[in-house]
Amino acid sequence: MTTHVTVMPEQFTLVAYDANRIAAIVRDLASLLGLSNPMAVEVDERTPLSKMSAVVAGTSSDHTITLRLQSGALEDTKHLTNFSEAHARRSLGQVMLRAKDRLRPDFADAPDDLALTNAQNTAWDVYCGGRLDRLGLDPIQQGYRYDFRNRFGFSDEVDCVFDQLWSADDLGWHDLPTVP
Amino acid sequence: MGADTTTDTATDTSRSHVRAPFAPWDRRDLPGSFDVAETARRVGNYKWTEMKLFEALGGWVATVPELDIKMRLGTHCYRHAWHAELWHKRLPELREMKPERLTAPANDAMERFVAAMTEPEDSGLTIEKLVGVYRVLIPRFIAAYTYHMNNTSEITDAPTIRSLKFALQDEFDDWRDGELMLQSLIKTPDDVRRATEHQAALEDIMVEAGGITGPGSIGPVQ
Amino acid sequence: MRQFFPVEDLARDDRFVQTNMAERMSDTRSAVDLQRTAKSRGASNRLTPDRHDASDAARSLMHGIMVGEIQALEGAGRTAHDFDAGDGSEGTIPFELKLDMARQAWDEARHVEISVKLSDWMGTEIGQFQENTVLFEAACSNDPVLRLAGVNRALEGLAIDVFTQMKEFGQLADDPFLEFCEDWMLADEVTHVKMGSDWLRRVTENDPDRRAKALDFQRVVDKLFSFGGARGESEESPIGLARRFRELAGFTDDEVDTIAGMDHDALEERKEVVRLARETADV
Ligand SMILES: [Fe+2]
Ligand SMILES: [Fe+2]
Repeated sequence: MTTHVTVMPEQFTLVAYDANRIAAIVRDLASLLGLSNPMAVEVDERTPLSKMSAVVAGTSSDHTITLRLQSGALEDTKHLTNFSEAHARRSLGQVMLRAKDRLRPDFADAPDDLALTNAQNTAWDVYCGGRLDRLGLDPIQQGYRYDFRNRFGFSDEVDCVFDQLWSADDLGWHDLPTVP
Repeated sequence: MGADTTTDTATDTSRSHVRAPFAPWDRRDLPGSFDVAETARRVGNYKWTEMKLFEALGGWVATVPELDIKMRLGTHCYRHAWHAELWHKRLPELREMKPERLTAPANDAMERFVAAMTEPEDSGLTIEKLVGVYRVLIPRFIAAYTYHMNNTSEITDAPTIRSLKFALQDEFDDWRDGELMLQSLIKTPDDVRRATEHQAALEDIMVEAGGITGPGSIGPVQ
Repeated sequence: MRQFFPVEDLARDDRFVQTNMAERMSDTRSAVDLQRTAKSRGASNRLTPDRHDASDAARSLMHGIMVGEIQALEGAGRTAHDFDAGDGSEGTIPFELKLDMARQAWDEARHVEISVKLSDWMGTEIGQFQENTVLFEAACSNDPVLRLAGVNRALEGLAIDVFTQMKEFGQLADDPFLEFCEDWMLADEVTHVKMGSDWLRRVTENDPDRRAKALDFQRVVDKLFSFGGARGESEESPIGLARRFRELAGFTDDEVDTIAGMDHDALEERKEVVRLARETADV
C-alpha cells in the first residue's frame, strides 16, 4: 500500500525544491520504516534554518502525521537554495522516526517537539541518528556526538551514554537520558 | 695560517687555577676559505635566492588544489623568508651598507633558473612546482650551505655559521616534507616522466649556473 | 606564474564548491525577524550554545572559518609574491613587509590546520558547505596599500569578531578544544591587524591621499564583511563586534563605532531586501 502524502507548498518560490520529489522520498521512507499513516509535509521556505517537528494526530495507523520542516533541513549545503536528496532523506528519516516513536504507548509522555528542551531534543536525535545509520542513510556520527557533548558535557561518561544510545533500537521516552 | 692554534693552550694544565682560553674540547680553528668580501657576495646570493624561493612558495599557495600541500607551502614560505632576513641582517656586518646592492643572483643562468622554476602555474602542475623546489633548488641550498659552513673560519665567521646551521636545519626538514609530498603524488609512469623531465630541464640550467653562488658553490672550480 | 591571481582561479580539490557574495545575497530567505526594529527586544540570534540549532550553526561557521583561513593564507602568500621589494612606491613594498606577509602565510596555514582539526572534532566534513570567495576577492587588490586595508584591517578585523564569538561559544559549552584554539588564533589575528595598521601608516606616511583612499576602501570592505548584518552589535546578528580585542589590535573607538554603524545599516538594508522579496514572491 502506498502512503498518502501531501506537501505544502505545492510550488516553491524562494528555493528550488520540488514538492513531488519530497513526496516521493517520504513515501519511500515510510515503506522503509513501516509507516502507513497519511503524511502531511509542511515546508517553511522563508527561513534557511533547519528546525523540524512531527505532530501525530493519534496513535493508530490512519491518523495523519504532520511533518514541519524549515527549508534548510532539505537543502544542498554546497549549493544553497537547491534541494539535496541525501540531506532530505536524512532529515525526513529523522523526523519520521520520531513520529513513529510517538505512535508507541511508551512515548505517550513525550512533550510536543517544539516544547522539548535542547537536551531532550538532542538525546532523541541521537537515538534516531543511530537508527538512520543502520538504515543506510549515512548520518555523520561525529556531528551527533558533538551535539550530544554540547548538551550533556564533554566527558568519557557522556561518550559512553552516547554510544549506548546510538546503538539502541527499542527505547521508550523514559529510557532517553536526561541532563543530570 | 693553517697552524694548529689550539694545542698549546688547550694542554697547558700545569697551573690548575688558570684555565686555557680554548678548552680541551674546543677544536675550532682560525683558517677559513672566504674573506669578508667573498662571504658578503655569497650571503647576497643566498638572500636573493631565498627571496625568490619564498616569493614562489607564497604565490603558489593559491594555485595548488591539494589542501595539505597548500598548507605546507605556506609554512615553508615563512622559513625561507626568515633565512632571507638572516642574510639581509648579516650583509651590513660584512661591510655592505646597502644590502640591496649584493642581493643578486650569482649569474644570468641562476636568474633563468628561477624564471623556469616559477613558470608552472596551472593547478594540475603540482608535481612540477614541487620538483623545482624540493628536488633541484633545496638540495642546492643544502650543498652550498654545507660547503660554506665547513669551509669558513670557525672563529672569525661564527655569525654566518650560526645562521647557516639554522637555515640548514630548515632546508633538511623542508626537503623531507617536499620529498614525501612528491612521492605521494607520483603514482604513474606518466607522473614519473613529468617529474624527471622537469627535473632534468631545471638541472641543466642549474649546472650552467654552477649552484646558488655560481661556480664554486661547493668547492674551488677546477 | 602571473603577478596577480584572479579569484576565479583559486585552486581547490573536488570537495569544494565556491560561490560569491552576489549569489549569496540573492538568497532572500532570512533567519531574522522582519517585524523587529533595531530598537525592539526579542529572542537573540547570537551564536551561543543555548540556541536550539547551536551545533549546526557552529559547524557551519567553523567551515566558514576554515575556508576563510585558506583564503587568508592565499592572500598573504600572494602579497609576499606579487610585489617586488622596494621603497613602497610604484607597486613595490618594503622588504620587511614582504617578510611579515610570509610570516602571516605561516600563521594562516596554522589556522587552516587548526580549523580543519576543529571541523573534524565538531563533525563537519571538508567541503560540506559552500565556500564564499568574497574574502580573497575583496582583499586582493592590485594596490598593496589597499591590500593592507582590505586584508589586514577589514578581513582580520572580521576574524577577530568571529573568533571572539566562537571562543565564547566554546567557553559556555565547556568544549575543551574550541575555546583553547580560538584564543590562540585570536592572538595571531590581533597581531595581523596591528601589523597591517603599522604598515599602512608607514607606507602612506607622506601620501595622505593614498592613505585616505585606503581607508575609504577599508570601509567598503568592512560593510561587505558585515554579511548583511550577520556581524554587528544588534542581538539579531549571530556574530558580535569584538570591541575589546579590536581595541587591543589598535582600532580606535571612532573606527569601531563606524563599523558598528555600517553593520547596523547593512542589517536594515538586508531586512528591506528580504521584505521586498517576500512581498514579490507572496509567501
Ligand atoms: Fe587567520
Ligand atoms: Fe590572520
